[in-house]
Amino acid sequence: MAEGTWKDYREKKHSKPLPLQGIRVLEVCTLVLGPSGTGFLSRMGAEVIKCEMPPLGDTLRSLVPFGYWFREQCTSFIRPNPNKYWLGLDLHKAEGQEVFRELAAKADIIEENQRPGVMERWNVGYRQIKEINPDIIYISKTGFGQWGQYARENRPSNDGAAQAMSGYAWMSSFPGQRPIKSRLYICDSYGALIGEVAVLAALHYRERTGKGQFIELSQCESIMRTMSWVWPYQHVTGRPAMPAGNRDVSICPADTFRCSDDMFLALAAPNPQEFRGLCIAMERPELADDPRFADHLTRLQEENATEILRIVADWVRTKTPEEIEGLAEKHGFAASRLYTIKDVVEDRHFRERGFVTEVDDPLLGEFLDYEFPVMMSKSPPRVSWSIRPVGFDNEYVMTHRLGKSEDDIKQLYECGALGKWADVLGRRPPSGWDGKAGLIMARD
Amino acid sequence: MEEPAWADWIRERDHPKTAGSRAEALGDITVLDLSSKNFAGCYCSSMLAEFGAEVLRVEPPEGDFIRACTPYGILHEGEGLNYLSEGRNKFHITLNLGKPEAREILKGLAAQADVLIETYRPGVMDDWGVGYEELRKINPRLIFASITAYGQFGPLSLSRMPDYDNIVQARSAAQYDTGEIMPEGKSYDECPWAIPTKAGPWIGWVEAGTFMAVGILAALHWREMTGEGQALDVACVEAYASIEDWAAVWYQGAGVINERFGSLNTAGWLYCFAPTKDGAVFLGGLRLEMWQAFADMVGKWDEWGAASWKDLSLFTEKEEQLKWASLVFAETSKYTNEELVGMSVEYARKGRLAPITPVVAPVCSPEEAIHDANWLDRGIFAPVKDPVYGELIVAQAQYKMTETPIRTKWVCRPVGYDNEHIYLKYMGFGPLRLKELKEAGIL
Repeated sequence: MAEGTWKDYREKKHSKPLPLQGIRVLEVCTLVLGPSGTGFLSRMGAEVIKCEMPPLGDTLRSLVPFGYWFREQCTSFIRPNPNKYWLGLDLHKAEGQEVFRELAAKADIIEENQRPGVMERWNVGYRQIKEINPDIIYISKTGFGQWGQYARENRPSNDGAAQAMSGYAWMSSFPGQRPIKSRLYICDSYGALIGEVAVLAALHYRERTGKGQFIELSQCESIMRTMSWVWPYQHVTGRPAMPAGNRDVSICPADTFRCSDDMFLALAAPNPQEFRGLCIAMERPELADDPRFADHLTRLQEENATEILRIVADWVRTKTPEEIEGLAEKHGFAASRLYTIKDVVEDRHFRERGFVTEVDDPLLGEFLDYEFPVMMSKSPPRVSWSIRPVGFDNEYVMTHRLGKSEDDIKQLYECGALGKWADVLGRRPPSGWDGKAGLIMARD
Repeated sequence: MEEPAWADWIRERDHPKTAGSRAEALGDITVLDLSSKNFAGCYCSSMLAEFGAEVLRVEPPEGDFIRACTPYGILHEGEGLNYLSEGRNKFHITLNLGKPEAREILKGLAAQADVLIETYRPGVMDDWGVGYEELRKINPRLIFASITAYGQFGPLSLSRMPDYDNIVQARSAAQYDTGEIMPEGKSYDECPWAIPTKAGPWIGWVEAGTFMAVGILAALHWREMTGEGQALDVACVEAYASIEDWAAVWYQGAGVINERFGSLNTAGWLYCFAPTKDGAVFLGGLRLEMWQAFADMVGKWDEWGAASWKDLSLFTEKEEQLKWASLVFAETSKYTNEELVGMSVEYARKGRLAPITPVVAPVCSPEEAIHDANWLDRGIFAPVKDPVYGELIVAQAQYKMTETPIRTKWVCRPVGYDNEHIYLKYMGFGPLRLKELKEAGIL
């Protein structure tokens, strides 16, 4: 655990360098698949300029749980968008496209999630940008990729479409019941994440060779990549893969069980030592040597698995989650009650590690966010600031990054290439805003 | 319809068929993967191996337990099906880390590696004398990546509990609030499926492994800048919990604990699974115009008063969602999946609001997905001809790239399959030395 290495990690993370410091990213993204990816980079210190269509910006700015706005800002918008610079740029306008191209000439990475061909129509597609910046790493993220039947049909996509079409939802349900959609935007978040593996691998390649490239990501294909045994199983056995509810069909026992207080608990104890520990905890030590259960591969067979899961279920039904967790710790198997969101936010372990972290934001005030979940001993990723209204950093980006004069900027506003927020919830600053807090330039 | 020029142009340059002849992004990187009964680590090293990193997969002489984690106990050519999918492109060697001599060999390998991935309980590597603080002395450029249930520090880091995917899912809150709503007046005994429901795939492990791959690549960049390696720490539970987008903010702002909402979406409308004549479809219309387009597409423009809708906020309240869901479901139930998908594609061409159209996607089984012509065309299910395991389908080519596309050279290797080559290459162990080490139980 390298005690010295991690000592005071949480307290000292803001006084260490960031791993992607100096990397410049341009984002033309909406909803979750696009912005989450650049959000991972901005947590690691990349300078991300988020281009939004003024005055309404990102569609995600409207999506709130049962109408709940967090301090007049969009509840769902915070997590994917920390540490970004906010540019209100209309790419339908030639002048807006020109600004984008000037920024692109100085960028390392461009990320977009428009439908295929849209960026090209705006004269900022990969073919056009590589003429002015041949080293660019350019990733396009969509439901179905840039080519093939579904792309050709110009089908729109969402996270839920990928959950549906990949077979992911089908495999995440109870046998004989309707397929269930994950309440996470799992295919968005995962597509965004795995996309950054490609982007950073491409960055490594560019550092060695000087060459940039285009990357095409489909959120459907990304989530299919995660489904491991499902594909070889169908190929090898000729049978369709079937859902199994909360039971893990590759690990036994591993399932969700109901406790005496009607709370639910997940438990896993597959390897020989762990399984023996469980049997001792159940006061049934003989089960560990039972020929149906002793060996994991044998235990996984349908009949045996059903039997041992029934035995475990009957036992758990007589205990509280706390009792089982205590026994698991003592006997070395795994168990956890089902955490609610309250449990996660208030968990002492997550707080002490700084995973659940306090952010003191000039606009949003003090609030809790999740830190990037890779702790890096010498270059810790972190959230420093939060979301901003549409076009909030226009002046900063134009002046600092492009060296525009006040007159240039004025013209860009006049022709509508630059714009700021509409007076609409989720787009404008909080009502108590003093007209200055959070602004980098032009505070008067 | 004619394919746009962009699609043709890029298809020619990034089709996975051409991947084999291209450069590899991580061809200069050597990775030691010591993952022990942990799929997150295996998946992490796969992410790097797909890009050409030389991954040395280190297992105990009897092989890693994760090989025996396979659906219903099924083996193919003696191999578990999960491992078969994630042994890709890796060289497999054995090393009995319980023995001091083996740890000396590990130090020799670590001295020559760029990245080390390990998943032992915190402290185990240190006790063996091969923890980060020891290995950094041998190789200050080493990126030492640890993936565990609860991480390297913090009160739970000393827990004896092992790391499994279903525990990650349970502990992250994503299981608690996913699943069917209990029908009114029913109980768990009557409806044992109306309970918190986890994802079928090992998504908790996969998220953790992929996050670590991103962290490793960022650390490689930082090493390019500074020359220094470092230690990385992923707690699987945090990795999976971190992708949640709004419930934690809702809780801290309003004190609300998010609960199950079936296949509807608490934080947006239109966004749900809807029943059809022959199954179900996903419907998506998170912009007002898309929701209006849906109403129009099913012939309810006038009856539902779609023209008068001003914004979506009306529809996102819980009671409104439930009310509208039943109206929508009544319409979708009149059609088959194929009909509804066709209606949406058609609406994009000729509808009143075209090209705006709602997202309509069939809920597919993996059996349907693996035969879908679109995916077959895109190469994600192209069979791999493996020298040991024969022809096999694993998901691959999840990204297409113009310069350094990923590829699957082989799917897996038996335990210790590459001992001869790898130990000769890295440690200079010829056949005689190798035999000695095997007999001594070190390899």
